[in-house]
Amino acid sequence: MGKLYLIKMDSPLRSEEDYEDKQHHVSSPASSLLRASAYAAYIFDPLGHTDDTARPAKRRRVCEKPDTSEASDNEMLSSFQRLLGGAESKSAANLRQQAFEKLWSVIDSRIHGILRETNQSTLRDVLLFLQNAPDYTPAGKIPSAFIVTGPNIVSADLLFEQLSETLQHEADAYTVRLRSGDASNLRAILRKVIQGIVSTGSVAEDELISTTSKDGRKFLNYDVEGLYSHLKLTPQRSLVVIAFQDSEAFDSGLLSDLISLLSSWLGRIPFAFLFGIATSVELFEARLLKSTCQSLYGDQFDVEQTASIIDKIFKTAVAHSQTKILLGPGFLSSLLERQREQVASIPDFISSIKYAYMCHFYANPLSFLVPDGLNSGALQPDYIELLQCLPSFQRAVETAVKNNTIGRARILLEDKKGFIEYLADCLGQRGQWTTKLLRVLIILTTSKTITAGFSDLYMDISYNGFGISNQYDQFLDSVKRMEPCDSEEYLSGLLDMVRHGDKSLGLNPWVDDAPASFALLSEILAGIKQLRIDASEKGHVLRSQYSGQGKILRTTIVAQKVQLSQNTATLTDHDKSYTDLIHRLLEYLEATVRIDGARDMPFNEVWLYDSKSPYKDVFIPRPRNVLERALSRPHDYLGCPCCKTSIDQITSSLPATAILYQLYLETSSLVNAADLWSAYYAIVGEDDEEGLGEQTALLLFYRAMAELKAMGFVKQSRKKADHVAKLAWKGL
Amino acid sequence: MVRTKRQQPGAVVTAVRSSSRKRARDEIDKVEESTPSKRRSNRPATNTGANSSRSEYDFPSDNEEQPEPKGEETPRKRGRPSATKTIQANEEISTPRGRKNRGINVVTPSRTGGAVNGETPRRQRNDRSARKKSARALIEKVITGVSSDEEVDGDIAREIYESSEDDEVDDGTIDGHHGDGDTNEIGDEPATPSRKSRGLTKAMKRTRTRKKSLTPPRDLPPHELYFAQNRPGAAKTSNNTLASLKLLTHEEYFSLLRDYEDPHRDDIEFLDSIHVQSFPQWVFELSHGFSVCLYGYGSKRGLLYKFAKYVYSMISDHGNHRIVIVNGYVRASMSSLRDILSVIARAIDSKHKLAAGGPSIMMENLKSLLSSHDITITVVLNSIDAAPLRRPGFQPILAQLAAHPQIQFICSADTPDFTLLWDSSLRSSFSFVFHDCTTFSPFTTELEVVDDVHELLGRKARRVGGKEGVTYVLRSLTENARNLYRLIVGEVLVAMDNEADLSSENPGVEYRMIYNKAVEEFICSSEMAFRTLLKE
Repeated sequence: MGKLYLIKMDSPLRSEEDYEDKQHHVSSPASSLLRASAYAAYIFDPLGHTDDTARPAKRRRVCEKPDTSEASDNEMLSSFQRLLGGAESKSAANLRQQAFEKLWSVIDSRIHGILRETNQSTLRDVLLFLQNAPDYTPAGKIPSAFIVTGPNIVSADLLFEQLSETLQHEADAYTVRLRSGDASNLRAILRKVIQGIVSTGSVAEDELISTTSKDGRKFLNYDVEGLYSHLKLTPQRSLVVIAFQDSEAFDSGLLSDLISLLSSWLGRIPFAFLFGIATSVELFEARLLKSTCQSLYGDQFDVEQTASIIDKIFKTAVAHSQTKILLGPGFLSSLLERQREQVASIPDFISSIKYAYMCHFYANPLSFLVPDGLNSGALQPDYIELLQCLPSFQRAVETAVKNNTIGRARILLEDKKGFIEYLADCLGQRGQWTTKLLRVLIILTTSKTITAGFSDLYMDISYNGFGISNQYDQFLDSVKRMEPCDSEEYLSGLLDMVRHGDKSLGLNPWVDDAPASFALLSEILAGIKQLRIDASEKGHVLRSQYSGQGKILRTTIVAQKVQLSQNTATLTDHDKSYTDLIHRLLEYLEATVRIDGARDMPFNEVWLYDSKSPYKDVFIPRPRNVLERALSRPHDYLGCPCCKTSIDQITSSLPATAILYQLYLETSSLVNAADLWSAYYAIVGEDDEEGLGEQTALLLFYRAMAELKAMGFVKQSRKKADHVAKLAWKGL
Repeated sequence: MVRTKRQQPGAVVTAVRSSSRKRARDEIDKVEESTPSKRRSNRPATNTGANSSRSEYDFPSDNEEQPEPKGEETPRKRGRPSATKTIQANEEISTPRGRKNRGINVVTPSRTGGAVNGETPRRQRNDRSARKKSARALIEKVITGVSSDEEVDGDIAREIYESSEDDEVDDGTIDGHHGDGDTNEIGDEPATPSRKSRGLTKAMKRTRTRKKSLTPPRDLPPHELYFAQNRPGAAKTSNNTLASLKLLTHEEYFSLLRDYEDPHRDDIEFLDSIHVQSFPQWVFELSHGFSVCLYGYGSKRGLLYKFAKYVYSMISDHGNHRIVIVNGYVRASMSSLRDILSVIARAIDSKHKLAAGGPSIMMENLKSLLSSHDITITVVLNSIDAAPLRRPGFQPILAQLAAHPQIQFICSADTPDFTLLWDSSLRSSFSFVFHDCTTFSPFTTELEVVDDVHELLGRKARRVGGKEGVTYVLRSLTENARNLYRLIVGEVLVAMDNEADLSSENPGVEYRMIYNKAVEEFICSSEMAFRTLLKE
């Protein structure tokens, strides 16, 4: 039956009846009613095993229980398809999936750590404020915390979730979170508030609105008195916190009403407010009534802005020393740009990175090599061939040939064992490369002279390398011109990094790795310090040959003419020795601050992901363009020979909706349906032998019109009989 | 005097271009009626006042080509006050038109056939001024004789003039082509100008000139096209109606549909097979906390159904992974969201009844239910942007549903602007991954085609009762009565199935059996109650 079913399903033109018919055949008649497509929702169960009576389901659950864990394992693992045209072994596919899950879970936990930390200080402040509020709030005023979240509502969501959690646990408070969409009038807001408080307070649902007043009347569910009597019955908590997440979006009159109403209850119920504010407290205050403002007593709290959080996440998730995948600049820049220009949220950012990882492991057959170089050495011969075809490897061989090490090239190409060794070597070097990259980055960013942000530098250097570019010269030049105080600060900062590493990047201190350079740097630093002290004792300012004031412009007036002359200021001995120190520093930097870009490394295809396309398509869809394209050039999708036309030509073989759409594009804002029909019929009509009969044409016309309507291209117009209004213009 | 009269309708032509074919067909009288009324609407105060401005921008394009019109204009102005005619007789109008056409014939000798003849060289305003100028320049040149330094200008002028003329000829042929289509459409009535006097040709001319003015140059950028199509006063359409066309009924529609074979069937299936290949990818995405949203032209219901089958085949233990299919397009009223949530709850635990109340309370309830069961639910939602789900409050609930870690959410969207449904926070809690799934398969169940089209055209021909009617009746029944109804229908269906083989006509259901079943399901407790329920 299942097979028959499939065939039926495949035929695209089945009427509604057929479909329901199918449903009817497949499942037992009694339940077919529940499952038909005409129903809003139904449980999908093509075999009809689990009925509503749940008996069969139960039986099965019992019998299958023993192997559940194994089964779910299998299920999880089998979601990766085999690549290489199906030639990939199942184990390799599984390896890829495992690698992905392992790597991502590590990154994910790091990101979550960051997120938790970022809001910590705000949380602590707000908590402290509210806990102490009853003590110092003037009588008759509601303690309120104004949290300036900035324009990003999404990250505010997380903050408020954390806030209500902490407040419930640590301040022993009832919290209700309100969003402007939740409630449009006072009654609805009150109902929501009361329900929120009552449901968190009571354990059993039956107690919900069991509260009645003394004379036995039941409270309406938006009566604050009901809340009051409920609170009296349940164990007293110190605060009732109402959080307005997007307080600007609330109607200001409504907010004023609510505040004045609740402030009149303040004597009996200890209310407190949280306002999430996107703009500024002043603007918010201006929207409220003066009298309402006076019943608030509050403080302002700032939240860490999105940009800095993004920066942190970038460091932990992308640039971290433990990341095994390098995300290329093409991908990252479009990601960051979207983040900057459209207010995309932090969760979006994270899921984009996650999606990049998913793409890499899902679609790249070599990705199983990622985690630790040679993954269990299980290299199929196919893989070796594949690896040898990689452009990066071929480039490596070519350079070997150029450098006259043909023997080496031969080993690489012909000796399987030699090749595998080389591969393992290259992949193993990646870890060191990452560390070096990060060190270089730190050397660069510690000096304040480079204007580009960390992420920009990272993108550039990780991909293109550092050593010949413009930025490199710029950097060295800026170091050369450093004033003694700047260079001292720079060196001490650098030494600090060398000594302690950078936690956010997962970079360990590298004193032990490079004792010589550490010694050199500290020597230079000590020298500079000494020279500064000496110079200031002698009363003149230390400078180097290159520093800005080294050249002095002299103006002399000789015979009523102004003579300008530029002289190199004479350098003192101190200055000379300072210049020497700077020279040594430059030499050191020139030697260390050089690194190859990822694109030059052999086998970078294994661990480099730099593709914009799935990211863009998947996260920033352009449904209108897709739809317009489908309708104006159906051939792009259908690939049929009959519809292959030049642009904008209408042929009768096009799908009806496409023809109508073409005609529709030419109309003005009011469309005569009769004319549309006659034009349509003129195209598909019975002129030639292939034309459609009037009835069939009308059928298709109907369907196409209904589709255009459903897609929002036309709507009914009352201006004239049989006219429809045009609603969309192509390409706008 | 005759002249003035004649000029006037000619002048109105551009303003009245709207009406075309119908008029052309049979009712010339109607033309007469509509002309003055139009005039009135343009200049509400008087009929006469309409003259000056109109002659200014409408007429000259012809005028400048011949020297005489200047003479023509003056008498008209003078004669205007006396020409306060309201409705002109049929012959009266047709003669001047005929003359006018002749005049045009003189003006544009480049024209060849009679069909092209009807094309007055009316251009869009901008063009006209340039053309006017160049025409004037040409005339002046002829009169005064050419001096050498003027020659260049003259050439340019001629070029402009000629190029626009060429255009017209082109347009004329294109329009002529269109015209052929038109004649086809209407039948064969207006094809022959000979049959119905010049008034007819005039009307045809109107149609064409309208078409020309509405068909802007081909390669306009989108925004220009928008303004071109939304020019004030440009929204003139013909008065044709579908009165002559027999509209389809539901029965006709469905029977036709059954017989129709789509020529693109294979291509559509091929397209479908491409989408089917990405099923594993979707499963992967779903399993990692993303929701999948399919968009693009065509119904994605079949595809999602296949996907559900695929997921079903992948599931090893159906006890802790269920699939719920939701049809967003079902036009049930408020309760559809409640239905969705309660079905999901039933999928988790078939005995559980969600607490009554608003959707948000049900959602909370559902969440706590989910957290107490180790179960994954895949929600397959057809048409997330269907009208019933666009109501305020629906999408936030769906977003909460989709954001739940135990729920895998895949949906389809049909409209081009569906992303407007969500603000950034909703969007991020959905955490959608979008895929272009253009299927080109028709919307069979999603749309009620006949009703939709009739509504679009302003005809009320709803199916009697319709789905809404049935749901309304069912909703007004009590719970028990509804259950009983379900029971009876189920039994009748079974009976029909069984007796279809025995080829008996009216399948019957045994009263006793129904009663027993009803008692079993606690629908009623006594026979008395059973009878009352049945009555309902």
